[in-house]
Amino acid sequence: MDTNGEIEQKTTLSPLLRRLLRLKFWLVEHVRPSERQSTLIWAALIGALGALSSEAFRKTSDFLLHIATGSSSGIISGFANLTWWQRLIVPTVGGLLAGSTLWFGNRLVAGGKQKTTTDYMEAIVVGSGIISARASIVKSLSALLSISTGTSIGREGPLVQLSSLVASLIGRVRNIPIPQRRHLVACGAAAGIASAYKAPIAASFFVAEIILGTVVVESLGPLIIASVVAAFVTQMLGNSEPLYKSSGFNLHTRWEIIPLSCVGILLGFSAPLYLGFLRSAERLFSKIVLPVPLKLALGGAIVGGLAILNPDVCGNGQGLLRSIFHQYWFWDEVLVIIVLKLLATATAFGSGVVGGVFTPTLVVGAGLGVLYGEGILCLAPQFQSDPAMYGVVGMGAFLAATTGAPLMAILMAFELTLDYSIAPFLMVNCVVAYYCSGIFEKRFMYGESLERKGAAFFNQQLAAVNIRDLVRRDPITLPKNATFAQIAETFVQHRFQHVYIVDKDQKLLGAISLHDVKTFLDRPELESVVIAADIMDEDFPRVSPMHGMTDALHKFSEAHSERLPVVDDMVSKRLIGSISKTDIILHLAGEQSAVGTSRQFS
Amino acid sequence: MISRKAIEHLKGAIFLKDLEAQSDHEAISKLLDLLRSHPAVSNFELFAADVFDRQQADPPLFPGGVAFPHARTDGVTALVMAVATCRKPIQFGDISVRLIFLVGVPKRAGGDYLELISFLARQIRRDPAMERLTGAEDMPGFIARFVDPA
Repeated sequence: MDTNGEIEQKTTLSPLLRRLLRLKFWLVEHVRPSERQSTLIWAALIGALGALSSEAFRKTSDFLLHIATGSSSGIISGFANLTWWQRLIVPTVGGLLAGSTLWFGNRLVAGGKQKTTTDYMEAIVVGSGIISARASIVKSLSALLSISTGTSIGREGPLVQLSSLVASLIGRVRNIPIPQRRHLVACGAAAGIASAYKAPIAASFFVAEIILGTVVVESLGPLIIASVVAAFVTQMLGNSEPLYKSSGFNLHTRWEIIPLSCVGILLGFSAPLYLGFLRSAERLFSKIVLPVPLKLALGGAIVGGLAILNPDVCGNGQGLLRSIFHQYWFWDEVLVIIVLKLLATATAFGSGVVGGVFTPTLVVGAGLGVLYGEGILCLAPQFQSDPAMYGVVGMGAFLAATTGAPLMAILMAFELTLDYSIAPFLMVNCVVAYYCSGIFEKRFMYGESLERKGAAFFNQQLAAVNIRDLVRRDPITLPKNATFAQIAETFVQHRFQHVYIVDKDQKLLGAISLHDVKTFLDRPELESVVIAADIMDEDFPRVSPMHGMTDALHKFSEAHSERLPVVDDMVSKRLIGSISKTDIILHLAGEQSAVGTSRQFS
Repeated sequence: MISRKAIEHLKGAIFLKDLEAQSDHEAISKLLDLLRSHPAVSNFELFAADVFDRQQADPPLFPGGVAFPHARTDGVTALVMAVATCRKPIQFGDISVRLIFLVGVPKRAGGDYLELISFLARQIRRDPAMERLTGAEDMPGFIARFVDPA
């Protein structure tokens, strides 16, 4: 079919093909997914692939841990079985290898031509949704070496990095427009978090609340699908139990509600100190002039030194958290492990180890909560308080206070323990902690990370995106003398609900809607007498790159269409592509998020 | 199935018996002239130009000898139609035409147009006895033969 010029010959359909067409049209209307539904399908695929990549990372990490410590039963027990000098050597060598990987890897990546980001947050919020594959692999390898050799850093960082990379690659291969590609990367991030913590709802809100800064349905829906699929696949591949399943908490007296509701105040005011401590460690290490491999080796050596005192400081703290929640710890033991864990995490973070501080933050919060609980038990023994219950509440409250995302923190703490009895206290304390923290702390954990990418660049990028950047350049077109049969065939071959009619110069003449013609599609008598020009809507709304995003969105309300044609200008009306409503909404949501975040930075 | 709407349009159509013309252009011009003073024709020149443009793009013909010259045009405010029978066939390209339906529809009435054309074409395909149709004396007679061939 010549879509640029006139059609020379009429097409007639055989009865068999006509029946097939009828069937296909039924399928098109009832089964074939719309663009928004397709996004959900992609989100589900990304969720599954993200979970698989996370599982592969976990297995490789366990294997390397076995090589490093000879243990297969977890990082803490692995280090506990090592002699003092081995505890020192393993993280030091691990740091050296991780640093060397980063150093050599970055030299290799720097030779690449394309300027892309390695940071998933940057890719989602300010970038084009493209994450550098080579740089991501280098970072993940480096993280793998650090984590497997006991460094006190969270592995959620590389897990999120890898699943975001998978999403980014899918977006690139499918040539998906920038807003949707960025959103797919967000789905990848959510999948990574969901598979790391088996917490799909919290993972969705982590990305929505912290990274996207919006919880509009257009963006939240795919995040939820990706997270749930990732969590489901992770559960199928391993343990289906929540990460820190609660053994059940009970209040022995209703008066305990009072101290339990005040955990958030303590943790809220502690959070700025914690964030300040991490920043100080980073500043301190930045003053040490050493090559990256030696800097990471130094960080590893310090962690190794702390591990000589207590091997519980090793790793991200997952095993330590389980122990805090399920075993009785004396207050002095808790205090010591909090101090050591803080030092180990700050050292790893400051030295530039690739990884996250999410789980270490949970450990510090839970430890402080347990300490508070022990204090209540000491002051009011008649309450018979369970310090572990205060630990769970403290974990959530501290997370809310450090990330500035109370909703995510409530959901995360709940999903990690699956204890409903604790939920009301979590809700109160997360909100209280968030407000208390906000008095002294204006730059929360991940907001600061984004700030480093440059708030000015951030807004500049968003302002620079216009309709031309969102245009999909493959519009489905027909000439004005296309027969009814050809129109029918076109609708069957493509999922779009509109076909655009153009002249030989690609000037847009109008559009034909599937809805308008569907009742006539099974009438063969029309095939020879009706052409596109007879049924096209000449006033079909169109946009041009001159339009603003809001104007374009307004045009969609006139058309009741998921997609509108884009013309180069409203005079020549030359069709250059089409634009999707979802892309514009996601872009505007991103813009809103940018405004909110830049306000938060100031 | 009889389309009530299509029948209503037929009832309002102008009927011309035994149209004589040397060419398709002349035949269409004569039918257009019949509609010149129709109250729904707001801009006759535009209407006529659009009909000929459409005819040039792709002449709408039915193999049994029926022509459907038509246009979606701003020259009419409501659907207008003229029907002509021809004792002597008129050549529309390769097809000898004995029955002509000239239709003008406002641009926003694409659905009405499709419904009308679909109905006319279906009826003609069902009963291709052109002799009987061309023997009608007036519009009521034509409709009677057209709708109920028995």
